[in-house]
Amino acid sequence: MPTEAIDPPGVQWLRVSPKYVTVRLVEWAIGNVLLVAVLSLPLVFVLLGWWRWPPLWLAIAVPAVMLLLALWRLALIPRQVRAIGYAERDDDLLIRRGIFFQRTMVVPYGRMQYVDVAVGPVERSLGLCTLKLHTASTGTNAQLPGLPAQEGARLREQLSARGEARLAGL
Amino acid sequence: MSPVDPAVALPDKAVDGGWKRVHPASPFVRGWVALAAVGFFFSRDAFERMLQGRDFVDPNLTGRVPWLLAGGAVVLLLTVGGFILSWYFTRYQVAEGFVRVNTGFLFKQQRQARLDRVQAIDIVQPLLARIFGLAELKFEVADAGESAVRLAYLPIDQAKQLRASILAQAAGVVSEPGSTEEIREAPEHVVLSVPPGRLLGSLLLSEQTVGILIGAAVVVSTSVLLENTAIFLALIPGILGIGASYWSAFNKGYNFTAAISPDGIRLRYGLLDTQAQTLPPGRIQAVMVRQPPIWRLFGWYRMHVNVAGYGAAGNSDGAARTMLLPVGLKSDVLRMMSLVLPDPGVDEPAAVFNAGLEGLAPAGHVPAGTDGFVTTPRRARLLAPLGWRRNGFLATGTALLIRSGRWWRTLVMVPHQRTQSMALHQGPLARRFAVADLVLHTTAGPVLPRVFQAGVTEAVELFDQQAARAREARKRQTSEQWLAQVAPQAPEVAAAAAQTEEPQTPNQEDRHDG
Repeated sequence: MPTEAIDPPGVQWLRVSPKYVTVRLVEWAIGNVLLVAVLSLPLVFVLLGWWRWPPLWLAIAVPAVMLLLALWRLALIPRQVRAIGYAERDDDLLIRRGIFFQRTMVVPYGRMQYVDVAVGPVERSLGLCTLKLHTASTGTNAQLPGLPAQEGARLREQLSARGEARLAGL
Repeated sequence: MSPVDPAVALPDKAVDGGWKRVHPASPFVRGWVALAAVGFFFSRDAFERMLQGRDFVDPNLTGRVPWLLAGGAVVLLLTVGGFILSWYFTRYQVAEGFVRVNTGFLFKQQRQARLDRVQAIDIVQPLLARIFGLAELKFEVADAGESAVRLAYLPIDQAKQLRASILAQAAGVVSEPGSTEEIREAPEHVVLSVPPGRLLGSLLLSEQTVGILIGAAVVVSTSVLLENTAIFLALIPGILGIGASYWSAFNKGYNFTAAISPDGIRLRYGLLDTQAQTLPPGRIQAVMVRQPPIWRLFGWYRMHVNVAGYGAAGNSDGAARTMLLPVGLKSDVLRMMSLVLPDPGVDEPAAVFNAGLEGLAPAGHVPAGTDGFVTTPRRARLLAPLGWRRNGFLATGTALLIRSGRWWRTLVMVPHQRTQSMALHQGPLARRFAVADLVLHTTAGPVLPRVFQAGVTEAVELFDQQAARAREARKRQTSEQWLAQVAPQAPEVAAAAAQTEEPQTPNQEDRHDG
């Protein structure tokens, strides 16, 4: 996995499961196919002659733009999934994500209040899970999606144990 | 409101095992709105009659009297009965390191909170409670939701006593839990106060006023252009709302006093509703000093804090509670800083804070500012044409100082041991200029620490070092001994804390307003 400019030097990133692409594809389909379908309704009505407004070019342009955007997001999904990485260090967990808008986050073990493992229906069928770390800050939006279930359970145990060992007050 | 049930007349004493009840009058103080509604419902008829110039008493009343009386009695009994039941089943206890509260008679709720997890204790006196000499005690733990424990209402002396004993037990002062009754309030030393004139001036020169003036100018010019005066009528609700918001800000900020005591920083404020907050200084997660452009004329600043348990400043109440200083001069700011951050971790705190509040990096090709702050590199000046000389950070031995804003000058401080987690953000534009933002995550509140547009090498270095610094700071966390660190500021308080049997020196203001 390539190291980006904002990543701390000398970090060996672990990648999430490539199967997570499927989860993202399903999410993409649910969101975008519906949206484009709804936005195409005016075009259908205009073609059928039921509606006089909007003009034909507008009725075509709106769903077309949305479709292009959706396809663009679709093309990005595999790269986005590859960009998700995590690294366990001695005292903290690093999580990175994003291609255009990159984010590298560090969560000290002693700051973790609790660790969630969530599994959705699609994830379950693929044997994946999502790990969520919670600190006292609501700004800590530390999610690690697309982990194999075993790895998720191992991380959860590991993080809880390390968190307990280094537990600090607020 | 005569006592209907003999239980009401019972004195407020220990029930069993140290369980106590709140003051018997408290349900009436809390529920006066309901009683007023009942009264209003029954007197409205008579009032309308009077307004219409008819007889005060309905001529047909005689036939309905029994029904009216019966209905009124039932409603009154139900209300009062509910009050009494809610009062009877509300009990609290402070013992063995816990505060426990039991409430409810149909749906019982038992709640206990660890005393050493206290984040803040507030004593609130709404106007009506103040008239009766009552006060509400709020006990906050680190949960951004509602207050963990709310005891409404206690007699003011008892509330202060309870606060003192909770804080003493939380600080580990008391060795034997049986002696909680004898704990007297920790002496305090007033550090600063805000004169009402300055508060009024700060409100009149706030951003809100500028917005109103602009809005008024727009409205006047439109009405002149359209030759329509009806537009002013539509403004009346808006004017009322603005007046209410000014009044609420004045009411909340009036008589603002900050004091230091062995229990922590104590803030008092309020004109009609008074509030006394106690913040153990180790509980402050982040501090922000801010100066809107107009305030620069007078050198005024405003300070906010993040305290776990106060939560986000969503409503006006939350905004008031997270306000560390509504308006103050730079000397006030520095004094507050010394309370909040007793050890700034630098040799010349005043110079560093000065640079943080007003500093500006030189415009030339100097790599780093001379004042210690690492600012946005010159190559990114297009990205932040105004702020690039101002955006900067400085890591001292104990805290990270972040300054930003050319017009809205802002200085944010996060003690190293309070950092929860951190994230580096970089968008495509920032990557083009080789800069990155560093966001520090802290508990919910008005302060959002973010280092804007730091050079990417500096940002990554800070990211790495800050994690190590936070780790180190947590290992040698000494917030329990904070008074010793502040002692040079207020030696008489430290002395009084050392020998609590000594009578108070005249320096310590003995205030009774809660």
